[in-house]
Amino acid sequence: MKNLGNQTHPNRKCSWNSSPPQPNSSSKKGEMTLKVYADRMSQPSRAVIIFCKLNGIDFEEVKIDISKRQHLTPEFQEINPMKKVPAIVDGRFKLFESHAIMIYLAYVFPGVADHWYPADVSKRAKIHSVLDWHHSNLRYGAVTYVLSSTLGPALGRPLNPKAAAEAEKILSESLAKIESFWLKGNGRFLLGSLQPSIADLSLVCEIMQLEVVNEKDRDRILGPHTRVLKWIDDTKNATRPHFDEVHSILFKVKEKLKRMKSGGAKDETQFTTKTALPSKM
Amino acid sequence: MALKLYLDRMSQPSRAILTFCKVNGIEFEEVKIELAKLQNYSPEYAEVNPMKQVPAIVHGEFKLFESHAILIYLASAFSGVADHWYPADIQKRAKIHSVLDWHHSNLRRGSATYIFNTNIALALGQPLNLEAAAEGEKILIASLAKIESFWLQDDKPFLLGNSQPSIADLSMACEVMQLEVADTKDRDRILGPRKRILKWVDDTKNATAPYFEEIHSIIYPTKEKLQKLKSMAAKKEPQSIGEPA
Repeated sequence: MKNLGNQTHPNRKCSWNSSPPQPNSSSKKGEMTLKVYADRMSQPSRAVIIFCKLNGIDFEEVKIDISKRQHLTPEFQEINPMKKVPAIVDGRFKLFESHAIMIYLAYVFPGVADHWYPADVSKRAKIHSVLDWHHSNLRYGAVTYVLSSTLGPALGRPLNPKAAAEAEKILSESLAKIESFWLKGNGRFLLGSLQPSIADLSLVCEIMQLEVVNEKDRDRILGPHTRVLKWIDDTKNATRPHFDEVHSILFKVKEKLKRMKSGGAKDETQFTTKTALPSKM
Repeated sequence: MALKLYLDRMSQPSRAILTFCKVNGIEFEEVKIELAKLQNYSPEYAEVNPMKQVPAIVHGEFKLFESHAILIYLASAFSGVADHWYPADIQKRAKIHSVLDWHHSNLRRGSATYIFNTNIALALGQPLNLEAAAEGEKILIASLAKIESFWLQDDKPFLLGNSQPSIADLSMACEVMQLEVADTKDRDRILGPRKRILKWVDDTKNATAPYFEEIHSIIYPTKEKLQKLKSMAAKKEPQSIGEPA
């Protein structure tokens, strides 16, 4: 079985077979700035931004405000025909899907430490495994729950308590699986690792979205999972100060939602796109 | 080091792994885990994959599940796997990651939801759910349209404008093949207009001959069994779920 261990090329992680690394015109710093199209209310957008900042990757953040429908413009469709964030443009190379983006950035930018996306084939495979599991489990449950219980109206969708209840089941099961399986092992991070990987970033950013949800609901859902709560904390600490800074928008939205509720908004459908929030998911 | 593949050939991602290994001459032992007999719930299988799903592999002592992770691992760990399956070129590789990620929430979600709720549920002793099937169909149709308009390019046979297949073609073509289990009139309605997709599935089949076709031969007897279950359910007679466990 191949195990390529540490990278040998200063600018590039090892390629997997015997063919030599191929030139990439944007691999040199400063040649053509990487553009990251993001909405910080989007969980995968935050993961990509934090990854870049942590690893000293030069980039220009292009804000695409989903609540203002900026993802639907013809200009953004040129960047990502799926009309979603995040997306990147590196020179002339366009890419979307946050896991693909972080893997690409780990490859092409110098100075990205191995633990983010290890060269070891087996360790890497486990990261792919949890990232794939994430799509249909944690992400699926969390996104549906948050939209159906809280943020939907900001994006022109009605609240849906029935959908929220079903999504909460999937979310809770996913958190239980993270607690009992993905966090098994000696390390503080997923897959028993001593240091965080792109998987920790991706999944923790997802769970952070629950901050905008009603506090008693959030405590009910997250409270029982003490190992998960510790892992979130460990990930925040390992990625400071960027983690907190990039998540500050969530806390602003949370405060705004609280103020609206106590201001007598009896019906959450009053929380519409016309309400001025700095940026919404 | 021995490689074991834990598969149910009725599972689309299982078929992708099986085809990949056969095409690339990777030696393995196939361990059948029959979902219709609920074998994925056995305590022994939970040791292999605690998520109780197929496919999963064990390579020596290394266990792995999620088919995309498995395909990437096999392409990386076994010498002799041609580059086009999972290219060393970073940008080509990134695009493969991109379409494989897109697949989860689009083609797979749509297709699996539609087929489960119109057909497969019966084989697992569960009722059909036409409302869920309709939701699935919407996502499925939108996904097929996106494959034709974006992921496939007119002048090249495979996804992402590639001249040779990658693991993404295998994964997604096996997913499209699952639609063959549906009633002919539904299959024709959904797939019939999609000439570019049908050509791509054919090209993938030819590039992996004879294995893709051979592995998919299970679909047609399964379709017949499902038709029988459906007509029994319609007559409200007691159902038998395949062979006795």
